[in-house]
Amino acid sequence: MAQGSRRRRRRSEFAYVLKLLIWVAAVIFIFEGRFIYTMVTFDASDAVSADNSVTEEETETEAAETEAIHYVVSDDMYLAGLSDAGVVESETVEETETETEPETEPETHATVSDPDSTAIVREQAEAVDDTYFSDAVFIGDSRMEGFRNTSGITEGTFFTSVGMSLSSMTSSAIISDGDDKITVAAALSGGTYGKIYIMLGANDLGEYSWDDFKEGLISVTKRFQELQPDAILYLCSCIYVEEDKVTTGDYINNENVDTLNSILLEVCEEEGYYYLDFNEVLSDGYGSLIEDASSDGVHITADYCKVMLEYMKTHYVSVTDAGETATEETEE
Amino acid sequence: MKKITAFICAVVLVFSLTACSSDTKDSETVTITISELAEALLETVTSDSLSETASSLVPSIYYLDEDKVASSVAYASSGATACEIAVIESSDADSTADVESGMQTRVDNQIELYTSYNESEASRLETAIIKSVGVYTVLCVCDDTDAAEEILESYGF
Repeated sequence: MAQGSRRRRRRSEFAYVLKLLIWVAAVIFIFEGRFIYTMVTFDASDAVSADNSVTEEETETEAAETEAIHYVVSDDMYLAGLSDAGVVESETVEETETETEPETEPETHATVSDPDSTAIVREQAEAVDDTYFSDAVFIGDSRMEGFRNTSGITEGTFFTSVGMSLSSMTSSAIISDGDDKITVAAALSGGTYGKIYIMLGANDLGEYSWDDFKEGLISVTKRFQELQPDAILYLCSCIYVEEDKVTTGDYINNENVDTLNSILLEVCEEEGYYYLDFNEVLSDGYGSLIEDASSDGVHITADYCKVMLEYMKTHYVSVTDAGETATEETEE
Repeated sequence: MKKITAFICAVVLVFSLTACSSDTKDSETVTITISELAEALLETVTSDSLSETASSLVPSIYYLDEDKVASSVAYASSGATACEIAVIESSDADSTADVESGMQTRVDNQIELYTSYNESEASRLETAIIKSVGVYTVLCVCDDTDAAEEILESYGF
């Protein structure tokens, strides 16, 4: 009887210990299962590739972070070209590229043909507000119209037309006043303006010989200046495109944009106009439009139109500066 | 019995009057929150992401004198498509026709420009909806015109 009782007690103790072990095993399996699996299946040759995959993951994460910088709408978006911030951003891109593809040389791309040109509008210490644009007239194509629509700008007169080119801006009746269609020059003569912003080029790429383009541009801007002799004339750079998304023709490419912009800058230097380099904030640092700054590769999204507006508020010519330049030119 | 008949007649009369008033649009008394309507119509644009245009620029876009516009909400494209939505409250009912006319001019101009630039967007503009009720006028260039019509009907257009 006592023997049977002892055997039962021993059996119940054994069952208790067994249960405990099962619980411990279950807990270890649940919480450390992957670790155990790794211990069991560990192979030294796999360790190298595992390290590589971790490096790749890290690189991808860093690349994503670097890319994410482009999407943030802030003053830190000055990517390429002239500003110090642009240099910092370019370095970040270079680091990422170096880690991902060590054999690839880092690339930088100036957004202007002559970074030291006095015609380039420099950043001012103080930003202006929208009232600066109350006597401004904005002339341009669908990109300028998109800027009007989505940047949030509240002041200014807009003579925009989808598909506007140098040719149509010069001679076609493409501006509606509600009753009739008139030319840009006729529209311009209907008021008095202190600033003229001209944005074109996207519809001119591949259309003319570059010499003809320059000649035509000088002719039309001189006409505008005659109509508005006191106005500060800004020529806006042709904004880069995202070539992979462009479906309208191979001629819309960034090589042509660079060439056209060099002509715009030359005209500004020769005629005393001011060159507004939007690509300073819209270039990806490699001579192309920032990825995702456009849905179709050409027209700039609202977020980046806001960036353009902020750029215009910090890159302007004061009336005093413009007057001094004009006086110097007259004396010469 | 007479009392019951009189009560039934009164009830029928009341209901018939109510029905009349709901069927007949009293356009003078329609009140719309234009921002709500514009946001509702925004859902009918699926091929583009429109952004709100500053209301100070709306009169010039639709060739209107500023004094004819009491308030406005407009959403427009970056230029990638011809989609746009505008809801304008006129300063008075007489100005509504001018607003409608200005919107039509805008659409006609855009069709002309897009025809040589982007044919598919010109076709989209051909289906533009322009409707008015009371002091409110709507322009809707979108992807889903049926849905837009339904929304407008629910707002009394």
